[in-house]
Amino acid sequence: MSRRGWFSLILLAALLLAALLAPWLASQNPYDLATLDILDARLPPGSAALDHGGTYWLGTDAQGRDMLSAMLYGLRISLAVGVLSTLLALTAGVVLGLLAAWHGRWVDALIMRVVDIQLSFPAILLALVLLALTGPGVSKIVLALLAAQWAYYARTARSAALVECQKDYVAAARLLRLPTWRILLRHVLPNCLPTLLTVAALQLAAAISLEATLSFLGLGLPVTEPSLGLLIANGFQYLLSGRYWISVFPGLLLVVVLTCCNLLADALRQRADPREAGR
Amino acid sequence: MPRFHHALTALTLAFAAILPAHAADLRIGLAADVSSLDPHFVNIAPNIALSSHLFESLTSIDPNGKLQPGLATSWKAVDPTTWEFKLRRGVKFHDGSELTADDVIFSLDRPATLTNSPGPFTSYTKPIVAKQVVDRYTVRLKTATPYGPLPLDVNSIFIVSKKAAQNATPEDFNSGKALIGTGPFKFASFKRGEAIELVRNPQYWGEKPAWDKVTFRILTSDAPRLAALLAGDVDAIENVPTADIARLKANPKFVLAQRASWRTLFWQLDQWRDNSPYVTDKAGKPLARNPLKDVRVRQAISKAINRDALVERTLEGLAIPAGNIVSPGILGNAKALKPEAYDPEGAKKLLAAAGYPDGFALTLHGPNNRYINDEQVVQTVAQLLTRVGIQARVETLPLSAYFGKARAGDYSVALLGWGSLAGDFALRSLVGTPNPDTGWGSWNWGRYSNPKVDQLVAASLASVEPQEREKLAEQAATQALKDYAVIPLYHQYASWGLKKGIKFTPRVDEFSFAWQFKPE
Repeated sequence: MSRRGWFSLILLAALLLAALLAPWLASQNPYDLATLDILDARLPPGSAALDHGGTYWLGTDAQGRDMLSAMLYGLRISLAVGVLSTLLALTAGVVLGLLAAWHGRWVDALIMRVVDIQLSFPAILLALVLLALTGPGVSKIVLALLAAQWAYYARTARSAALVECQKDYVAAARLLRLPTWRILLRHVLPNCLPTLLTVAALQLAAAISLEATLSFLGLGLPVTEPSLGLLIANGFQYLLSGRYWISVFPGLLLVVVLTCCNLLADALRQRADPREAGR
Repeated sequence: MPRFHHALTALTLAFAAILPAHAADLRIGLAADVSSLDPHFVNIAPNIALSSHLFESLTSIDPNGKLQPGLATSWKAVDPTTWEFKLRRGVKFHDGSELTADDVIFSLDRPATLTNSPGPFTSYTKPIVAKQVVDRYTVRLKTATPYGPLPLDVNSIFIVSKKAAQNATPEDFNSGKALIGTGPFKFASFKRGEAIELVRNPQYWGEKPAWDKVTFRILTSDAPRLAALLAGDVDAIENVPTADIARLKANPKFVLAQRASWRTLFWQLDQWRDNSPYVTDKAGKPLARNPLKDVRVRQAISKAINRDALVERTLEGLAIPAGNIVSPGILGNAKALKPEAYDPEGAKKLLAAAGYPDGFALTLHGPNNRYINDEQVVQTVAQLLTRVGIQARVETLPLSAYFGKARAGDYSVALLGWGSLAGDFALRSLVGTPNPDTGWGSWNWGRYSNPKVDQLVAASLASVEPQEREKLAEQAATQALKDYAVIPLYHQYASWGLKKGIKFTPRVDEFSFAWQFKPE
């Protein structure tokens, strides 16, 4: 893998670790209203807290939330939602895509037409409609993202599997009368994985930014438990008045996460692409 | 080529400078959405603001909240229960027909015929028990008991053309077909959630408006509204975002107008159900009884709220902490009632005394696009309550969904802002025992009920002697607030941002009427 790839992988791993350890790293639990102090609202970066003597290294938001803690917790939600929905969508998409490729005919036609319909809707629109119907909550967002993204994996898995199914090793496996599930999962799937992982890394970035967009629009999560998108939205009204830190820091963090995902996807693609092998 | 370019730019600039002076158009950015164009359907400020351009009432209110003649030139009580209004002669509706007593009677009858209103006007029309046409330009309104504030009450009822509104459906109002009034502007177009266009009514009887065309743009989000002003997309905005007040003050291209308004923000607390839907123990299980019914719990909530911090931090100083239901300077504001002092320890003690030493959990509901920083205010109060052991969750939703649900009694603790020109009026709507027949308590979401308060409010409303009315209204407010019928938070400031070159007279009732704006 390229140096860029390694760099993004390490950075992403570090962010993941920081998000996982947020309760121990953060100086404040931003979701526990009792730890917030309205008198500390909108302090610029580096300010000292009024009563408990801590320092707000990245400032505070309008409710007196420590931005650094809020960002760690927000990252936790963003990553959890992104990873979980990507895994679920990947599983659902792969199963359906392999089925379509293997069975062909009407199964293929049916699944692929559903995929066509699904892909003709903008993901954000579909997610918005679903969230409006189901109401707020982390699990609802994951569901909405799953619904918005499985089709990409199904399409990719099908095309990769179609190519593999023409190959001799599959014919050999069939001659051995191996059960279908075994051929698909043990033989076809591993050979489709490189392409799928590349798509997954890209879609992870898409899922995270979609979640951020939804929270920015005020859908999905309660206002007292902001994820990165909601933090950006909260600071949005202060951007013009010079209190940049409420919006800009979570925004930067989001950019870093998304860039890492995209660089990683790029590195994975290069690795999987035989034409670029050895570079 | 560059020189030509410069000349072109100069020419464009010159035109840009001249054009606005010729075409007298005014574009105003509104902070709240208009939910219905029917002037009798919902009694909320955004709708009233729009209707006031198209329609007028028998009486009018000047910028300082004083009663002035409107479509009636004079009125008097001919006996203790009968008010006589003399109509202005020769007033023409937008369709050219003349205003007569029939239109007035029809308009006063109409609010009671509209069902399903999330905030009816009936508390203003219910005191009138009989209406009588004396002649084409004289009407008499009878009340069951002596009722002093009737002339102020009828200010809230817009006079519509009987001919146009008689068989009109809600669609006819929203399309403009039935929007036939006597006001200084005529209806041109309405795009829900986007913009409303009005044109000058050349036949207007009063002072002719300075603008040919007025466009109201609905810009409920703070940042885009301010950006629209800065970019020149609108000439004026209401509700300047608190975060940007200082910045606008410093900008020489804009003018900031401010004044303390009539609006008070407070909490309505569920005081009628034994099991309130959003009050639970900390584990989320229902409680044996509704703690909000206990006055000690309500007092504890009040003591837990640091109003000074709320005003200074969340509202950036754009409010005054409140201990009253109506703003200072308005009849019925009892000076002896001070804002509750912040006392978290006292609040905890009261909760313990009421049987909740470990507190409980509740959800605070509020709108997120109506009052200054409303969503932030709800969050701040949640934070303050959590600090005394009442675990508070926050749910905010757009005004359009919020009022209907709050009125239906869906919430346990709900934020409401109320502007009134008299304390007894506010008390009648907000804490009077709800009664659909009299229209009392039409905004009493918590259904607080105290016969003593009802009596005092009724006595205040019946008194024709202003000083006596003031005394009674203050007594009623004092009693209601002793019971913590509602928990007042603060009186709001109103602010407007204007392009330089426009003069503006701010109103105590926060309205942004097109005729308050004048070219300089």
